[in-house]
Amino acid sequence: MSHEIDITGLSKSFGQGAAAFQALKEIDLTITSGEFFTLLGPSGCGKTTLLRIIAGFELPSTGTVRINGRDVTSLGPSKRPVNTVFQSYALFPHMSLSENIGFGLKMLGKPKAEIRATVDEMLQLVRLEAMADRRPSEISGGQQQRVALARALAPRPRVLLLDEPLSALDLKLRKEMQSELKRLQSETGITFVFVTHDQEEALTMSDRIAVMSAGQILQLGAPQEIYNTPVNRFVADFIGDTNFLKLRVKAVDAGMAVLELPGGKAAQASLPDGMRPATGALVTAVIRPEQAEATGADEGDLHATVESATFFGTDTHLHLTLADAQGFVLRRQNRPGQPVPAPQSRLGLALAPGALRVLED
Amino acid sequence: MARSRFSITRLPGFGLIAVLTFVMLYLPIIILVVFSFNAGVSQSRWDGFSLQWYQAAFNNAQVRDVSLRSLWLAVTAASIATMLATLAALGTTRVGRFPGQTMIYALINQPLMVPEIVTGIALLIFVAAIKVQTGYTGMGYLVAAHTAFCIPFAYLPIRARLETLDNALEAAAADLYASPIQAFRYITLPLMVPGILAGFMLGFVISLDTVVITEFVKSAGQDTLPTYMLGQLRRTVTPEMNAIATLFLALSLIVVTAFFLITRTRGR
Repeated sequence: MSHEIDITGLSKSFGQGAAAFQALKEIDLTITSGEFFTLLGPSGCGKTTLLRIIAGFELPSTGTVRINGRDVTSLGPSKRPVNTVFQSYALFPHMSLSENIGFGLKMLGKPKAEIRATVDEMLQLVRLEAMADRRPSEISGGQQQRVALARALAPRPRVLLLDEPLSALDLKLRKEMQSELKRLQSETGITFVFVTHDQEEALTMSDRIAVMSAGQILQLGAPQEIYNTPVNRFVADFIGDTNFLKLRVKAVDAGMAVLELPGGKAAQASLPDGMRPATGALVTAVIRPEQAEATGADEGDLHATVESATFFGTDTHLHLTLADAQGFVLRRQNRPGQPVPAPQSRLGLALAPGALRVLED
Repeated sequence: MARSRFSITRLPGFGLIAVLTFVMLYLPIIILVVFSFNAGVSQSRWDGFSLQWYQAAFNNAQVRDVSLRSLWLAVTAASIATMLATLAALGTTRVGRFPGQTMIYALINQPLMVPEIVTGIALLIFVAAIKVQTGYTGMGYLVAAHTAFCIPFAYLPIRARLETLDNALEAAAADLYASPIQAFRYITLPLMVPGILAGFMLGFVISLDTVVITEFVKSAGQDTLPTYMLGQLRRTVTPEMNAIATLFLALSLIVVTAFFLITRTRGR
């Protein structure tokens, strides 16, 4: 795998003096050829700024951007082999869909016949052959989205940048476009850099995810890695649902800690690298709602009282209170004929082995 | 359709006020137009239908002369004003914020805020000084004065148009390998066209209509249609004036209608 984008020591500040705002802080990042890479974080975390710097719309304050080994830090957007799908799509309203899709090739000075052939190919790729002569205002939002994709893909960029492209679509259309994007990416083999604040979107589509907060990359890894082994409280909280438990350390041994559970039993929890809490200290441990199982009231590792149950179709969320009054959410898959526990009923919880993890705050 | 409980149309007197307003707006104009077709010289007694006053207006060399001057002046001033206003609109919307931006906006729109008579007197004194210094007495003064006066009227629709355009369009063009000139040529300019046309037409109508500025700036023999008509009214009023006014009205209506049609169909 070759390096597509190399970012080193990248910082970006807006404003000056006391009013200065540091949007990106010393980012180092390598994106490999042909991967679906996602920048994930809440609004204001710097993910869009990073994308705009890769596209060439913003100059970084410090640091360099290399694309395919070439330093492009000071080049404008028209001189970079990357194309962008804008959040607002930014389709040219006075041009037909064909003209929109062919615009990049026309600016590159390609011969007319080649432009026409590529436009036809792109229209076919996004399944809009029948609408080639329409204006953007005459097609639906989902179709505009596909035209924006086709227009950005037509010049065959090395990298496609996508700035929250699905945020304007309704849920059903968004799901369709997610698989459409995955299909386009594997068919074209182009490196995708995708910006989103939607963790589910990131988990389902990405090869790798960079979780960002306050101008920094907190964790970089495959979706499973990020979901299963979040490095800190922010990542654990932002990706998926998580139970946070304050627990006391009973013993520590080689990357593992034995924690005292509410109700008196003990459980093993993995420790993050380099963390060695003292025996008797209180630590934060996390466990995902689906990584525990309901058992009989006197079995399992934990004892809990049901406060309420929320039905979600595929599963039910049970809101529980543990023996020491800490809250716990259990996600239980629904099966036919399975009764929903009544409020105030008691049940036991069996934790999946390896599910409990200690996190630094 | 949801009907709101409060409706202004159901207030007492709404219909009466509406009718009175329209009567005040249009009745005098209708009377003016009707009597332009009068066979007699009266403005109050109908003597039968005739086109003689139109014939008289067309045969009046002076009317032809001032009409052509008015049209030439309006086209020239509106063209220059539109070009300058286009540049000003680009310079005040397609750049980052800079100090004094609001100030520049106010300065450009001066003719909308300063009373026309003040501008007229200021121009009279200013132009007189230049005339004495240079000896030049040509149409240049009228062109310059009308152009300056037309700029805000041309500027406002162009700026409004630019403000509705997504900035991302130009970013998208740059992203798709367009140079700044190409992005302007293929994206910004074509999308500005409705605003530019609207600006030109507004400027044209304003220049055509201006009496005060022209009256103070013109040299001898530089009457425009409105100042000529004003001069004629000081003597006897014959239906020839009605005929000229009616033609003038028709021209304005055509331009304004074209303005609306263009902004509606191309403004999407």
